Amino acid sequence: MNLQFNFKRALSIAKKEKFHIMRDPFTLTMATILPVLLVLIFGLAIEFNVKDIGLTVHDSDRTFSSRKLVEVFSSSQYFNINPSRGSIVDAINDLDSERSKASLIIEPEFEHNLLAHGNTKAQFLLDGADNSTAGVILGYLGGIQKAANFKLTGTLVKEPIELKTRYLFNPELSSPWFIVPGLAVVVIAILSILLTALTVAREWENGSMELLLSTPVQPLEIIIGKLIPYTVIGLAAVLLVVLVAILGFGIPFAGNIMLFGIGSLIFLIACLAQGMLISVLIRTQQLSMQIAMVTGLLPSLLLSGFIFPLESMPKVFQNFTSILPSKWFMIISRGIFLKGADFIDLKLPFLGLFLLCSILIITATKKFKKDLEP
Amino acid sequence: MTNIPVNAVDVSNLTVKFGDFIAVNNISFSVEKGEIFGFLGANGAGKTTTIRVLCGLLLPTSGKVKVSDVTYEQGIEAIKAKVGYMSQKFTLYNDLSIHENFAFTASLRKIPSDTLKRRTKELLEFIGFSKPMNTLVRDLPGGIKQQVSLAASILHDPEIIFLDEPTAGVTPVARARFWALIKQLAKDGKTIFVTTHYMDEAEQCGRIALMRTGKIIALDGPENLKKTTFPEPIIELNPKGTIPSELIEQLRINKAVDSIDSYGMKYHLIIKDPQEWNQLSINIAPYFVIRQIPPSLEDVFIRLVEGVTR
Repeated sequence: MNLQFNFKRALSIAKKEKFHIMRDPFTLTMATILPVLLVLIFGLAIEFNVKDIGLTVHDSDRTFSSRKLVEVFSSSQYFNINPSRGSIVDAINDLDSERSKASLIIEPEFEHNLLAHGNTKAQFLLDGADNSTAGVILGYLGGIQKAANFKLTGTLVKEPIELKTRYLFNPELSSPWFIVPGLAVVVIAILSILLTALTVAREWENGSMELLLSTPVQPLEIIIGKLIPYTVIGLAAVLLVVLVAILGFGIPFAGNIMLFGIGSLIFLIACLAQGMLISVLIRTQQLSMQIAMVTGLLPSLLLSGFIFPLESMPKVFQNFTSILPSKWFMIISRGIFLKGADFIDLKLPFLGLFLLCSILIITATKKFKKDLEP
Repeated sequence: MTNIPVNAVDVSNLTVKFGDFIAVNNISFSVEKGEIFGFLGANGAGKTTTIRVLCGLLLPTSGKVKVSDVTYEQGIEAIKAKVGYMSQKFTLYNDLSIHENFAFTASLRKIPSDTLKRRTKELLEFIGFSKPMNTLVRDLPGGIKQQVSLAASILHDPEIIFLDEPTAGVTPVARARFWALIKQLAKDGKTIFVTTHYMDEAEQCGRIALMRTGKIIALDGPENLKKTTFPEPIIELNPKGTIPSELIEQLRINKAVDSIDSYGMKYHLIIKDPQEWNQLSINIAPYFVIRQIPPSLEDVFIRLVEGVTR
């Protein structure tokens, strides 16, 4: 049997696929609008630095010292003070009604204790329902405590051990720095899985698969031919995200752009192959699209470490994420972008990505071959 | 073999199974070169399966298949090169122009560009296509699409053309036009293998194979099929007015009559004994306009394909 791979035929398929893409408003819109939209939503709207936190203050002491303490909070630019309406119950009700995220309760002996014993206490209530905001506020409290000590006692407290923290790679802990390099992962995953999920299913639905079958074209030629134009679209989308990251958000590109390109390419092909596999298995456009949405969006958003750190997930989940290409490319993308990591640093993620990519392509081609060959 | 007219298709003891289901059950037939060979049968009778085997799209479970002197042992690619296949579904790409569709098919079949140019010109002249080549296929009317689809499937100048219900869903005028093209192709020496549900189309075939549940139950020219299925003449009885209801029952048990069936307002009667019938026809003349009619292919189809299951 003649199983020779003919690159010219693969190119013919690619050319035909290009016509489909150019003439299909859906594909073109998806390819251009989706990356822009994602960058806007994730790059601008997601802000981990919480500001203007509502803080209800119930001051039963009403002394110079208690007012000083409240001043430290209000001058920190993180908090908006909501004065208590008299009862201490309000301090808790405000949390229930979402009027405030936190409450500060100062007992009557606040100043007295400070002057008499040299130390004093105030109660800080925090809405733990929103744990990400709570975590951020907790982080602010350390600094505020220091400032309060200084203001109230006039001296800097000497701590026996002082930990000085310096944030590497993202010194200001800026959210876009963290988010936007990860966006390359999300954009590629959603775009490429979604686009290719339709291509083979469309041939089955339209009946044009019969035409392909009646010619000597080989399954691998069809797969490769179909991958080529979508690879170009995917790379263009990555380039767009990188440009927006550098020019729009001022994120420095620390690593080797070539290495980043290679990583993107492998990840891209893995995603395209995943979409292709869905299409080959499902054969109807509607269902393929839904499955592509779920398997493209969820892992890249939730299980790749894009927003939620994998380290905080249960061990089972952490192990599971290793079969997701998006996890590996997330490490590669952030590593190269922010840390300037080289190939030696990233050999494990590259290996993982490459293996998954190969498995997906081989599975898709094998299944496709089985369907097409008599 | 010393036969001078080489057969275009030779099938012997072909069986195709899908798991436990036998789609084609041990059929044998031959198609001569230049013949228009019709394939008739209800849906699921095995027509499309047979065609797919002959086009190299499906491997036979057992049996021998020779298409244009190529057997399966020589590889399905060799078969694919010899045949043109136009499937039930419309297979051209709607969002591509006619030229792009042709160029795409040609490139998959490795047709050189000068040959493509020549064939395109020939074929478009052949189907009488006058619109610009960059018209998108989706903008063509149904009948024209069908003709362009035919042209695309014979771009590589195959010796045998398989048409699987090529005229389903197009207007009668377009059907007639399509059949004129089929006849022209046969005249040019191509072998045409066509499945259809339309009896008027089946009449135009040189020979017809009737398929039922995977078997060929009759194979002959349309006229011969009618003669062998209905050796006795068919008499049409057209009631002149209201007729006594017991009259039909009396006719049914009459010695001269083989069978009588109602066809709409009329009756079709088949004679058993011509002498007796002469007398009987005079007796019932007051009630009916009596006329001898030739059997139609539809009569044959009903009697052979559906009659057996009754």
